[in-house]
Amino acid sequence: MGENLLYLLPAVPLVTALLSFVIRSYRIVEVVHVAGISGLALLSLGLVKSLLGGQTFFALDGMLYADGLTAILILLIGTVGFLSGFYSIGYMRHDLAHGEVKERDLSTYYGFYHLFLFTMILSAISNNIAILWAAVEATTLGSAFLVGFYKHKTSAEAAWKYVLICSVGLAFALYGTILTYSNAFSVVQDAHKAMLWTELIKMAHQLDPQMMKLAFVFILIGFGTKAGLVPMHTWLPDAHSEAPSPASALLSGVLLKCALFAMVRYYAIALQSVGSEFPQTLLLIFGLLSVGVAAFFILVQNDIKRKLAYSSVEHIGIIATGLGVGGPLGIFAAFLHTINHSITKSLLFCTTGNITMKYGTRDATKIRGMKKVAPLTGFLFAAGLIAVAGSPPFNIFISELMTLTAGLKSGLFWPMILLLLFLVIAFAALVILISETVLGSPPEDLPRGETNWMGLLPLGILFVFMAGLGIYLPAPLNQLLQDAVGVVLGH
Amino acid sequence: MVWFALGSILLPILGSVLVLLIPERHVKKAGQFFSFLAFICGLLLWIGFAENRDSFTRDLLTIGGINLFGITIDTLSVLVNLMVVFIGWLICTYSVGYMNAGNREHPVTEGIPRFYSFMLLFIGSMSGLVLSSTLLGLLFFFEMTGLCSWNLIGFYGDQKSRNSALWAIILTHFAALGLYVATAFVYINTGSFSISALGNLNETEKIIAFGGILLASWGKSAQLPLHPWLPRAMVAPTPVSAYLHAASMVKVGVYIFARTVLEAGAVPQVIGEVGAIMAVLTMVYGFIMYFPQDDMKKLLAYSTIAQLSYIFLAISLSIYGSELAFNGAVSHIFNHAFAKGLFFLVAGALAYTTGTRRLSMLRGILSKLPVIGVGYIAAAMSIVGSPPFSGFFSKFMIILAGFQVGWHQPLILVLMVVTLVESVGSFIWILRWMGVNVFGSPSEAIAGASPTPVSIQVVVGVLILMTLVSQYIVFLLLS
Repeated sequence: MGENLLYLLPAVPLVTALLSFVIRSYRIVEVVHVAGISGLALLSLGLVKSLLGGQTFFALDGMLYADGLTAILILLIGTVGFLSGFYSIGYMRHDLAHGEVKERDLSTYYGFYHLFLFTMILSAISNNIAILWAAVEATTLGSAFLVGFYKHKTSAEAAWKYVLICSVGLAFALYGTILTYSNAFSVVQDAHKAMLWTELIKMAHQLDPQMMKLAFVFILIGFGTKAGLVPMHTWLPDAHSEAPSPASALLSGVLLKCALFAMVRYYAIALQSVGSEFPQTLLLIFGLLSVGVAAFFILVQNDIKRKLAYSSVEHIGIIATGLGVGGPLGIFAAFLHTINHSITKSLLFCTTGNITMKYGTRDATKIRGMKKVAPLTGFLFAAGLIAVAGSPPFNIFISELMTLTAGLKSGLFWPMILLLLFLVIAFAALVILISETVLGSPPEDLPRGETNWMGLLPLGILFVFMAGLGIYLPAPLNQLLQDAVGVVLGH
Repeated sequence: MVWFALGSILLPILGSVLVLLIPERHVKKAGQFFSFLAFICGLLLWIGFAENRDSFTRDLLTIGGINLFGITIDTLSVLVNLMVVFIGWLICTYSVGYMNAGNREHPVTEGIPRFYSFMLLFIGSMSGLVLSSTLLGLLFFFEMTGLCSWNLIGFYGDQKSRNSALWAIILTHFAALGLYVATAFVYINTGSFSISALGNLNETEKIIAFGGILLASWGKSAQLPLHPWLPRAMVAPTPVSAYLHAASMVKVGVYIFARTVLEAGAVPQVIGEVGAIMAVLTMVYGFIMYFPQDDMKKLLAYSTIAQLSYIFLAISLSIYGSELAFNGAVSHIFNHAFAKGLFFLVAGALAYTTGTRRLSMLRGILSKLPVIGVGYIAAAMSIVGSPPFSGFFSKFMIILAGFQVGWHQPLILVLMVVTLVESVGSFIWILRWMGVNVFGSPSEAIAGASPTPVSIQVVVGVLILMTLVSQYIVFLLLS
C-alpha cells in the first residue's frame, strides 16, 4: 500500500502538469487542475496516515523512501498545494478578466504549478542523495517560471536572480553531496549503498568526521541558500513578492521547508558522525542571524509581499534556531514551527492576493482601511499577521515558546534573550502594518466588498487550522512530529 | 464551581463571536446580555466559594502528560474574577448610553459590533487570566488582553489613537518577554507549567523567574520605566478607559505578581526590595505628573499609575512575611477598580454631556448634574483614602503593614515615609480639584450640558454604592 503510494504520489502531479501543458481550453485545464490537486491531497493524506507510528516504506530499489520527516513535507505539500491550488482558480480568473494574462497563459501556469509540486514531492521522497540534490535543483527550475509568470521587467529580473543565486548556492550542496558520497564509498565500497540516505545514517559512525564537517558546511550553505537563510537570502524577497500570490504561498509555505528538510537529512548524519556541537552551533548562528536581519527588514519594507517574504526568512531562522538548540524538544519545536509557518504564511500570501485584486497595489503606504473596504479579508490578514508575530491565540505562539523553552533548557540563556528581542522588533513591524493597512481610513473612491467565495473559502480553512493549532495539538500530529524527531535523533 | 468559572471565561468569548454575526441593531443588547451572564457566573462562583471556602485547582487541558491549562479557585481569584465580570457588565451597560451619536465629545456612529466584540473578548480573557492555574495560561491571556486593548484603545481609528494603541501593544508585548522567560524557565526546572511549581525552585532560580514576572507586571500595570503607554491610551473611548485602565488591563500586572508571590512560598527578599523601591519611585513620579494635568482623564491615568504602585508596594511587603500587606493588596486591587472605574465613568459622563474633559472648564457639577456630582465626590474620596469609602481601608492596611515591616527594615521605613507624604499630597491635590469642579455655581460648559442618558446614571449610581461597600465584600472572604 505505502509502496504504491510512493509511485502514485509523484505520478499524479506529473501527469496533471503534462495534461495542462497540452490542453488549450482553460476551462478544461481548470477541471484537470482540480482533479490533480484533489488526487494529490488524498494521496498525501493516505501516505501520512500509513506512516504514522514510525513506519517506513521503500520503493524503486530503495531510491524512494518515506519516513516521519517525509510525512511532514508530504502533509504540507498536499494540504497547502490543494488549498492554494484551489485559491489559484479565482485568482487567475480575475487576472484573466482584467487582461493581466491571456487564456493560453493559464495552461502554462497550471502546468508549472503541478510540475513544481512534482519536484517538491520528489525531493521529499528521494532516498538517493544525488536525486535529492537534483530534485531540489529542479524545484528552482519549476518555480522560476511561476516567479516570472507576469513577464514584467521586475518579475523577469526576480526570476533570473532566483535561478542564478540558487543554482550557485546549490553547487555548494553538490560538493557536499559528493563529499558525503565519497566518504561513504570509502567505507562500504558499494556505489549504490553509498548514495542512499538510509545506508548513510546506518554507517554515520564510521564516516570520517573531518570530511563530514566539511560536507555539512557545504550542505548548509547550499541548501541554506535555497531555504533563505541570511546571508544567502537575497533572492528570496524578490522572488516571493513577484510570483502570483498562490505561487508565493507555495514558495514560502512549502518550498523553503523542502530545502530545509534536505539539510535536516545531513544534519541527522552529522549529529552521529561529528557530534552535536558542530552542526548545532552553525545552525544556531545562521538561525539567529536570519531572525535578526529579517526583523529589521520587515520594518523598513513598503511592499506588503516583501514584508511577508522577509518574515519567511525570519521564521526559517527560528526553525534553524530550533534545530541549532537541538535535543528532542528543540527539534520537535522546529518541526512544529515548520508546519505552523506553512499554514500561516500561505494564508497570508493568499490574502495579499485578495488585497492586490482589490487595491491594485502591494504598496503598504497606499493600502488603507481594509476593515471597511473588505472586512473579511482585513480580518484574515490581521489574524495572519498576529499569528506570524507570535501572539496567542494562534499556532506560532506555541512553537516559538517551545523553541525558547528548549533553548533555555540547553543553557543558551543569552542567545534566547537575543532571539526574543529580535522577535519583538518583528512583532512591532507587523502590528504597525496592521494598524496602517487594516485599521486606517480607506480611500474614498474605492468600491466596498469582498472578492469571490473562491478567494475566501481556502483562506477560511487555513484560518481554522491556524487557530486550532493555537489551542490544541491533535494526537496524530503529535505522533507524526515525534516520529520525525525520532528519525533525526536515530531512535 | 468549575462550570461557573468556565462560564465566566467562555460565555463572553462566545458573545464576542456572536455580536459580529447578528444584525447591528441587536448588538448592544447582546453585549449587555453576555456580559451579564458572565457576571452571574462570577457571582455564583463567589457565593459558592463564600459558603464552603474550598480552595482547589482543576486541570483542564493536558497534552502528552503535561498540564497546559487549568483553573484555580481561591480567595484571590474568586474576588478578582468577580470584580472583572461585574465591572465588565457595568461597562457594557454604560456603553449603551455612551457609544452613540448623541455623544458631544466624540459622536459614535459605526463600529459598535467591533467595540462589543473586543470588549466581551476582553472580559473573557481577563477572567481566564485570573482563574488560570498555569503560567502558560497567564501568558496566553496576558497576550490576549494586549490584543484586545490594542483594538479598543485605537477604536476611533484616527492617526493619534492608532499610534497610542501601538504604544500599548508594543510596550506590553515587550514586557511579556519576562513572562515568556519565566514560563519557560519554570518548565525546564520543574517539568511543569503550574504556577505552584514556582515553589519548587531554589533561591537563584526564583530570582530569575520573579525577575521576568516583575518585568511583565510592570509593563501591564504601567510602572516605571514601562509606563508611557498608559497616559497615551487616554485617547480610548472613556468606557474602555474605565475598564482597561482602572479595573482590568492594568490589574493584570499586579494580579500576576500577587498570584505568583502567593504560590511560590518563600520569595527571595531582593525581589521584595526591588519591587518596593520601584513602586515608590513610580508613585512619586505619578504624583509629580498630577500637577501639569488639565485633562481629567490624563490626571486619572497618573493617579492610576500611583495607585498601582501602592499595590506593588503592598505585594512586595508581603514578601517580607506580612499577611496584612497581602490582604491590603488584594483589597486595594478590588476597591481601586470600583473607585477608579467610577471616576473614569464620571469623566466620560461629563465629556458626553458637555463635550469637554478640561478640569479648568468644569465648575458646579453637583447643582446641574447631581448624580454625576455625587459620583465625583465618592470616587475622589475613595481614591484619596478617606473614610467611610473603601479606599480608606485598603490604603490603611497597606500603610500599617508597611510600618510594621519598616520597624525592622530601615529601607522600608524610608519608603513608607515617602508613601505617607505622597498619600497626603494626592489627598490635597485631588480634593482641591473636587472642590473646584463639583461645588459652586455652574460654569458655562456645565450649564449648557445635555441630559445624561439613563444607563449612564444607573451605572454611576451602582458604582457609588460599590465605593462604600466593596471593602466589606473583601472582608467577607478574608475573615
